[in-house]
Amino acid sequence: MRWEWSEVREMDDQGCPRCKTTKYRNPSLKLMVNVCGHTLCESCVDMLFVRGSGNCVQCDTPLRKSNFRVQLFEDPAVDKEVEIRKKVLKIYNKRDFDFSNLREYNDYLERVEEIVYNLTNNLEVEGTKQIMEAYQRENRDIIQKNKAKLTREQEELEELLLLEQQGNEQRRLETLQEEQRQLQAKRKSKQALLDELERSHVPATILLAQHKDRAAQLETQIEKQKQVVKTTIFSTGIPMGQTVSLLTVNRLEEVLYHYQPIHMHTYGPPVPELEQLGRLGYLNHVRTAQPQDMAGGYNSGLACHRAIQDAFSGLFHPLG
Amino acid sequence: MFHISSQKKYWTFDNEESLEQLRCEANQKYRNKMLASGKPGVSDAVFLEAHEENVLFRHYEKRLLDFCNAFKPVMPKSVVGTAIMYFRRFYLNNSLMEYHPRTIMLICAYLSCKVDEFNVSSTQFVGNLVQESAAGQERALEQILEYELLLIQQLNFHLVVHTPYRPMEGLLIDIKTRYPLLENPESLRKSVDDFLTRVTLTDSGLLFPPSQIAMTAILNSASRAGLSMESYLTECMGLKEDKETLLKMYDAMRRIKSLMKKYELPKPDEVNAYKVKLERVHADFGTNSNMKRKRGYEDDDHVAKEPRMTEEVSETTYILATSASTFHVINSLLCFLGGVDG
Repeated sequence: MRWEWSEVREMDDQGCPRCKTTKYRNPSLKLMVNVCGHTLCESCVDMLFVRGSGNCVQCDTPLRKSNFRVQLFEDPAVDKEVEIRKKVLKIYNKRDFDFSNLREYNDYLERVEEIVYNLTNNLEVEGTKQIMEAYQRENRDIIQKNKAKLTREQEELEELLLLEQQGNEQRRLETLQEEQRQLQAKRKSKQALLDELERSHVPATILLAQHKDRAAQLETQIEKQKQVVKTTIFSTGIPMGQTVSLLTVNRLEEVLYHYQPIHMHTYGPPVPELEQLGRLGYLNHVRTAQPQDMAGGYNSGLACHRAIQDAFSGLFHPLG
Repeated sequence: MFHISSQKKYWTFDNEESLEQLRCEANQKYRNKMLASGKPGVSDAVFLEAHEENVLFRHYEKRLLDFCNAFKPVMPKSVVGTAIMYFRRFYLNNSLMEYHPRTIMLICAYLSCKVDEFNVSSTQFVGNLVQESAAGQERALEQILEYELLLIQQLNFHLVVHTPYRPMEGLLIDIKTRYPLLENPESLRKSVDDFLTRVTLTDSGLLFPPSQIAMTAILNSASRAGLSMESYLTECMGLKEDKETLLKMYDAMRRIKSLMKKYELPKPDEVNAYKVKLERVHADFGTNSNMKRKRGYEDDDHVAKEPRMTEEVSETTYILATSASTFHVINSLLCFLGGVDG
């Protein structure tokens, strides 16, 4: 497996703080995070917490081996916060329809965030824990109700998923069966041909021709069957036949662009056009272009035209 | 094209007086700067006057022309014209006392070769300084490279110069095509060339469009040769009806001719006298050591060479000036030390 250079750099950056093994040296290395927010690689965890509990290497808090989770985020602090948030939200599980107005809901959310922040950064841990306990005691029944609701919703989601899976399975089975049938039909026709060749008195070529015809017919039948599968919904999920309201797009009317040729004031007499130079006889007085000049696209008219332009430019300029 | 060029917009002035004024202002600015800086030995008498600067300017301009004419490989005329124009424009806004013309003239030639796509390598360029040794040539090259950006900046980055040579060719072609009255325009070529060379030594490039200068050259040469070309302007240029423009043209031509007549080669003794003064000013107040060059990977030896050279010059000139010596002694010694100069 080829690694991208950026991935290689990343792998080299992260490492276990204790044994300094990085993912670069051991790609299957997994970093584990605990409640204090510090990381250790799997092997170090096994080594240090062989007894089941111990102290963190960096912050010396008492930890349990079971509290170690595989690190999902690059920054262990994020992992720590995610864990804390999960726990907090188990208690603070009110939803937006539980509140009478938006303001209260926002205040509630603000409180939740404060709690999570405090716990993550180890500020006023005691006080926060007390607040949490108080809340839990007061809103016990609401918490229960919401928990129940949550589980119900999850179940519904799971049911839907299940249904979808079942649908997929069915379709797969059906296609398989179709294929089987087609194979069988083909085999039957082949067998029939062989039988006829044996029994019938009609010459072989005619029999072969007939067989071929029948095979062709079968093919077309199969094709038609395949196409019969009706499509009821578009890939985006909108069912067919539903009227979609398209907002009328405002037409922007702009003024049509009119080309106006550039007019440059040369302060001199008019210069003949490049194409006219030959006709007017100017080219007779210019050195003819050598073949090696013409190869590059040069022709004597260009030099002549430029000389004339320079000669006439600014001739009538009103100076002084 | 000239009509949309920066030359027309920024470097074409109305009359000679405005040019004179600009030069006086540049001179005055330098004086004020030096007086304000409060260096020892600063007084008004030490500095060059505007007309003295003018003499020196013409002298160095002639030397630039000679240098370009003696250049190997042969320098096209437009390159020469561009170089002289750069020289002129530079000293329109700067004083000769601040930047020595001997250096600036080489840089003008060098830059003009580059801009006009007359490709000469730098070594080849300094190889043309035949009076110098190899070391001297290298020193000159360093000086050139040092001041090149300054020159470009003082030209306000307007590097394209329209010289009258191509308009002259164009007019000759036009005459041959549309004006059969003049039998052999080629016969005029030599005197026209001569005229144009003389005209570059005047201020005409800063006052008139190059096509007008070319026209003046051709008409002048024709009248000198006794051929009449009056009807060219009226018939071919379509100016029969437009009397006003015709008059303006004649007026411009007259002015160009008068400028040419006014030009005279500077007198040698005047030149020498002012040159002494100039060298004095440069030696005393020369700002060579202040030039901070950012050439990261060159060693500092090259930079150190510069101030030592000027110090040598200043010391010796000072010693010589204080002792009783004649002009000739000074002159010859300056030649010996200055190298390119004299």
